[in-house]
Amino acid sequence: MNAVQRFIRSRVLLLTAAILIIAMGLSVLIQGQSQAALNRTVDENSRGLYDILVRAKADTSSGKGALIQPEIAGGQGGISFDQLEKIRTMGGTAVAAPISLVSRVTQNLQAPRLDAMDYLGYNAGLVGSATVGAPAGTEAAKWPAAESVLDAQPKNYRLTATAVSSDGVSERTLFKTSAEGSLGKGRFVEEQTLGGKSIRIAGPAGETGIKFPAPAGGSEHNLFNLSVALPLAPEVTESVVAVDPAAERALLGSAGDFLAPLEKAPPADARDAGAIGRHFESLFTNGIGMDELEEGPDFLGVKLKYWAPLMTQYQQAKRNGELTADSQAIPLIVREGTSLDLKYSVKIEEIDASGKVVKDVGTVTRSLDKDYLPFVSRSPFALSWPGSTDHSQLLGNPGNFGQGLYNPAQWSTDFAAAPKYQDGGTQSNGAVDKTATPGDWVTVNRLPESSISGTPVDQTQRKPVDERSYREGLETGKEPAKPLPMVYGTFNADKVKEAAGDINRLPLGGYDPTPLTLNKDADGKDAGNTELKPSLSATGLVSQSAGAITDYYGLAAARGYENNADVIDAVRVRATAAGSWKQAQPEVEKLAAEIRSLGLEATVVAGSAREEANIFVPGYSKDDAGKEAPLGTVQQSWVRQDAADAVSGSLTGTNLTLLFLTLCGATLLTGASTVSYIRQRRKEAGVLRAMGWTQRKIRSWVLEEFAIGAGLIAVAGLALSLLSWNLATVLVSVSVLVIYLAAAYFTTHQLRHQDVVDQEPQHDDKLIAVDSPLTFANRQLTTNRFNSVSLAVAVGVFGAAVGALIAVLIDIPRAAGASALSGAAATSVALPSIVLAVAGVAVGLVLTLVTGRFELQAKRQYLGILEAMGWNPDMLGQVRFFENALVGTVALPLGVVGALGLGLVLAPYAALWAALAGFLAVLCWIPIATKVVK
Amino acid sequence: MTLNSHSEPIPTQDPAGDPYQTRANTIVRASDHATPLELSNITIRYGGGKGGAEPVNVVEGFNLTLHAGEMHCVAGRSGSGKTSILTVGAGLTLPTSGRVLWEGQSLETMGDDEIADRRRALIGYVDQGGALIDGMSALENVLLPAVPDGEVEQRRDMAKDLLDLVGLGRRMRHRPAQLSGGERQRVAIARALILGTRVLVVDEPTASLDRTSANRIISILKDTTSDGIAVLVASHDHELVRLSDSLTELN
Repeated sequence: MNAVQRFIRSRVLLLTAAILIIAMGLSVLIQGQSQAALNRTVDENSRGLYDILVRAKADTSSGKGALIQPEIAGGQGGISFDQLEKIRTMGGTAVAAPISLVSRVTQNLQAPRLDAMDYLGYNAGLVGSATVGAPAGTEAAKWPAAESVLDAQPKNYRLTATAVSSDGVSERTLFKTSAEGSLGKGRFVEEQTLGGKSIRIAGPAGETGIKFPAPAGGSEHNLFNLSVALPLAPEVTESVVAVDPAAERALLGSAGDFLAPLEKAPPADARDAGAIGRHFESLFTNGIGMDELEEGPDFLGVKLKYWAPLMTQYQQAKRNGELTADSQAIPLIVREGTSLDLKYSVKIEEIDASGKVVKDVGTVTRSLDKDYLPFVSRSPFALSWPGSTDHSQLLGNPGNFGQGLYNPAQWSTDFAAAPKYQDGGTQSNGAVDKTATPGDWVTVNRLPESSISGTPVDQTQRKPVDERSYREGLETGKEPAKPLPMVYGTFNADKVKEAAGDINRLPLGGYDPTPLTLNKDADGKDAGNTELKPSLSATGLVSQSAGAITDYYGLAAARGYENNADVIDAVRVRATAAGSWKQAQPEVEKLAAEIRSLGLEATVVAGSAREEANIFVPGYSKDDAGKEAPLGTVQQSWVRQDAADAVSGSLTGTNLTLLFLTLCGATLLTGASTVSYIRQRRKEAGVLRAMGWTQRKIRSWVLEEFAIGAGLIAVAGLALSLLSWNLATVLVSVSVLVIYLAAAYFTTHQLRHQDVVDQEPQHDDKLIAVDSPLTFANRQLTTNRFNSVSLAVAVGVFGAAVGALIAVLIDIPRAAGASALSGAAATSVALPSIVLAVAGVAVGLVLTLVTGRFELQAKRQYLGILEAMGWNPDMLGQVRFFENALVGTVALPLGVVGALGLGLVLAPYAALWAALAGFLAVLCWIPIATKVVK
Repeated sequence: MTLNSHSEPIPTQDPAGDPYQTRANTIVRASDHATPLELSNITIRYGGGKGGAEPVNVVEGFNLTLHAGEMHCVAGRSGSGKTSILTVGAGLTLPTSGRVLWEGQSLETMGDDEIADRRRALIGYVDQGGALIDGMSALENVLLPAVPDGEVEQRRDMAKDLLDLVGLGRRMRHRPAQLSGGERQRVAIARALILGTRVLVVDEPTASLDRTSANRIISILKDTTSDGIAVLVASHDHELVRLSDSLTELN
């Protein structure tokens, strides 16, 4: 029988070589796949919209690997246009896009009203002059019959207007105001006047109408409705940011197309607010077509769809004497919709003469939502009386004719800066804790000082509310002249956010704010990740997308700066370097170094990823006694610099750890197989020795068999190394081969016959009497101590290995870090890691089974004896079970302590889980081994 | 010599037909003992399974009726099926075909547990070479059959008596590795008798033993028959064959 035949017949050797080759192949294949998936994920997410964030040096202190605040347009300025130009002319720069915070703008909504359907039907005298551009409007046949929700005989009603705002956690009633009066169905009143008849609409006889306190107007009848002017909604505040529209479009790609109109805005010397206002006045004086009115009149190549608010504010500012020669029109791209949670409700009750409620007509509510546009009211802020139908469409769409804001917007730089934070501790997964720094209190919910007619307004109607500001005021240049907002277009904040991606979500600055969620309340209790809403004053931590985006001329006009002031807060630079992150990294670093030479702080943000920061918010609210209370702990995505490197390094390390553990299992298996092999071949070696073979001859006889296995492993290793062509494969292959050869060497030195017989009689009094399957099993294990301990050790090692693998798997997300990239990367390597871990566990299991085979023959023999003596199958099963249970009991501490120890070394935060997994693995081994021995 | 004071009355049963009719050359000796063990038309076939080995009928149409107090010897060359007949008779393996009756009850009608329980009460099996449990003393080995019934302590004195009887009274604390082949064989016989067995099935008890040791074993076996115990023994030993009440010689 030659060596190959002997090798094949020697099942232990064959099994060992096969397992080693499989372990090696799996490790290389899976580790390679895992690494490729990891690299792919990192590369796909490592470069965001820009590579380098440039800020003024004085205001930044972030080092490598720092956590970067998402509000990069904080109003701090410090970068000049000269520096911007130098960055743009650097060889490695593809795009350099500046951004700055301009201002806060406070505004009232258009005066709210309640419309009760009171449609009077077609009337040629009234309709004819009001249906410009709506030809169908003059066709009487297309007008339905008159209808109304009101009675011909006026009834008494009580209207209660309520405004409620919410920060997402708790609601706050801003005011609740009631007004009473009688309302009835309107009628046409035809009057004889000089030169003919006139027609007007009037209320029924005896109607008092309803009037809320000033600045609200009263109620009036028109062709379609009875309109009741409601109390003004609270002022809301928006922020405005400035960008270079061309650079911003280059940065955002197609997602930045909304900025195209802003690119067409005229230079500063063509933005005289007075001149532009007069230009539009003349347009209407001279007449304007309906089509042009719908699209918006052309202004230097841009259709100004929202011309009505511009005119309203121009006229009001002119009337108030606020416009000066220095007043400039500021072109704005305004945000669509709002995340502000403000609900306006009106409760309508029918009452009798004594004020007692006769009937609850209903409550109507409207929120600021997607219809809302800062600086503009897309549609009138009107609430509809229950049961009303809007027939005003008969006159065409009146949306563009909305009057705009109640008062001209108030521009201010108070409490506009980015929030300030203090660093806290770092959590186990690398997440960083912060504390917000509270600033002053800001009062909201005030009424205008005077009504539109100029009469003073009673300020006691509603109670002002203080909101905590976490922001500071911005510096301004000279006192700015009253600016005139000029809406050039709109943008959708959600679409911009999509462009920034979800993992490497680098802050654009101002129009992609990161939401804040409340995790723990002031008492430290779980708050269920409630998303917080911005405050009315916009001075809190929570901000929404900028209400409007302008250009740097707009910034200069609003802040009173000269055009060349150092007002750029940040410049987002994209490098020309192409390829994967690893390929591009040197060029990006080089460009960043060049920018730093200008005296600026250049942070390489390519390779970064968003990460949740925990922020404690103190001083959030105060009670009537003035006692302040914290909000709790909120969470917000910040940007972790170098997240890609950290994730890549960490998960590569985890991969290698799994590989190492699997190979450790293979090593132990080889050792166990070797012991088994020695025991099998000792008798054979004795026979050969008796035949006159020398020790050297016997050794070479056995080594030949090992050589076959070694050859197979070497061939497999070589093939795998050539296929994968990486150093790790070569190292794995060489390691496995070395393990195998070491085992062979050990084996050949252990082939001496060593049969020692103890001649001492047994002393029964020292032994537990055999009177049950349990005591029998115990005696057997005690007798065969070496094998029992070997098996127990193998089972313990198996338990420890399972624990370690579980710990590593559980710990992957934490080990990878707290960033979004780590989550994506961990997901991408999860399957290969699990397969690798399962392979490791399988190797461990095979190890215990191989070790268990040491005594399999002897076990079979004594089980046969017991059977022959009449032990029934159940008792034989008990013997097998108790033997394995006793081995398991010895192995349990080893498995648990080993798993705990390995867990502490590999993944401290999953060590307890490792111990539990080790415990369960050993427990699971007992029935498996019992089944196998059967 | 009384080996089992608790033994039940030996049932008497006449053999149906010719009990010694086998394909082998059977020498019949006169005997009218009862039949605690009966093998009827036994065929034992090996091979023909998934391994693809050619099936071989080791034993074919074997019949045997063993009466109480009778010693029957199965002789034959190596591989002729002696051990196979013994393991079938002891209920350790089932024949390919044919019936095994213990005190008239067929094993086919019994489950595994019942076979084990009946074997414990009826059959004492002594393996070739006297297989003992290594880690246990001779006394403990003898007591092992008493474990399932929880009678270890009750049987301890009897175990000692049995070891005395087989000449190992002074070696009862020795472990198998400290005993000679003959001594191990005697311990195995004592173990087979501990529960008051009525059939002793012994495989090659004198193989590889010197004449003196072999004679001692044969003497013990012969003595057991005088207590009404039937002995089924497989052996080549001429002395054993000579002293047997009946013989089946397998081809």
